[in-house]
Amino acid sequence: MRQLINALLEYKNTLLYIGLLFLSIIFLNQRSFYHQSVFSNLSLSISSRMNFFNDGIYNYFNLVKINQQLSAENEKLKVLELAQYEGMELKTEVFESFSFKVTKARIIKNSYNKTRNYIIIDKGEADGVKTDMGVITNDGIIGVINQTTEDFSSVLSLLHRDLKINASFRKNGAYGSLSWQSNHPKKMKLDDISTLNPVFIGDTIVTGGMSDYFPYGIPIGKISKVERPEYEGYYDIEVELFGNLTQKEFVYIIENKNLDQIKKLDRDESQ
Amino acid sequence: MNRNNLFSIFQFVLLLFLQSFLLNNINLFGFINPNLYLLFFVVYRFDNNPTLLIFLGFLMGLLLDLLTLGSGAHTIASLTIAFIRPVIIRTSFGINYDIPMGMIEGTQPTQRLVYLLLMITIHHLLLYSIIYLSLDSVLIIFKNTLFTSFFTFIMIYVSLGLFRGK
Repeated sequence: MRQLINALLEYKNTLLYIGLLFLSIIFLNQRSFYHQSVFSNLSLSISSRMNFFNDGIYNYFNLVKINQQLSAENEKLKVLELAQYEGMELKTEVFESFSFKVTKARIIKNSYNKTRNYIIIDKGEADGVKTDMGVITNDGIIGVINQTTEDFSSVLSLLHRDLKINASFRKNGAYGSLSWQSNHPKKMKLDDISTLNPVFIGDTIVTGGMSDYFPYGIPIGKISKVERPEYEGYYDIEVELFGNLTQKEFVYIIENKNLDQIKKLDRDESQ
Repeated sequence: MNRNNLFSIFQFVLLLFLQSFLLNNINLFGFINPNLYLLFFVVYRFDNNPTLLIFLGFLMGLLLDLLTLGSGAHTIASLTIAFIRPVIIRTSFGINYDIPMGMIEGTQPTQRLVYLLLMITIHHLLLYSIIYLSLDSVLIIFKNTLFTSFFTFIMIYVSLGLFRGK
């Protein structure tokens, strides 16, 4: 004990310095947006590198399952491709006019037990990923790119309280905004649907074309509960997601090639 | 509480207010604000408690940042300069490092010059590195360090003349 105290006394200046330095870095982080973003970028890049290593080991033991999932998805795509051969000749034209570009990525960290969840994926600026791109998977949407480093990006998960996605009914196009209430990872809430529209349990919800992030028509989920408050003009709707965000492996990043033009128009309008 | 301590407290407060209300508004050529408050760390007696100086360095930077709405860079820079001051003293004064008022009397002028330049340059380099905190701004960091150090050096050198006259 005495030796410990002696050692502490000997290094008291260094210890005091480190303690105060720590305090001043917190102070710096609190006061300046620029430094805050530098620090969070740094921590993202460190944590993604560590998770990348962990994930590599974990994945090796799951290769069989992943292969099965991929081949199932391939099968689905093959069916679509064949359907296109059937009765169409304007295929190239369709692809050229399609304004979204798709990139494949793998999830290396995923959380779903917090109020604000983030996902880290293994594609970054070097692969052309930018902030505000949409992220989808084979059976639904995952989220929106939030921050990027050279080789990794963090995604604002659909299971993030503050993220609102434009969603609409497949049957009649009535649209509202979809958000997570931080309860069950498969249950979302759909707001702003007027009681003028007929709504039934089991109706399919898809992405609405009005968001900058996602193209129209990606299936999200189906309605599992609907209530009609007596004195309000809007429904209380609960949506159950098709996909299970807690066990995803591969995702697709979609880039809206026309985003610049849309943003420009948006700006012009708001001036 | 002897005379020296009272004088130190007076110096601390005076330099702090001078720096935050007058010198930080100079903006010579648009970006140069000499940091005269370094004078406190320069003339702090060599035989006084170094632990206290680290604490005072933190306090000085913190108050300065709070008074001038700074980002927090002054806190880290002045804390660090207070911490590494013994090393700088040993490097520049060599065997004379235990003369208590070494900066003012009893040492070689060259040694004092080296000490002063080291203190000022290291402090400014740290300060601007923290403010810009990016590899892309290396040139602007060096430019700011060079010019501001130069003007700070002139101000501190003139102020030291006042001490010597006493």
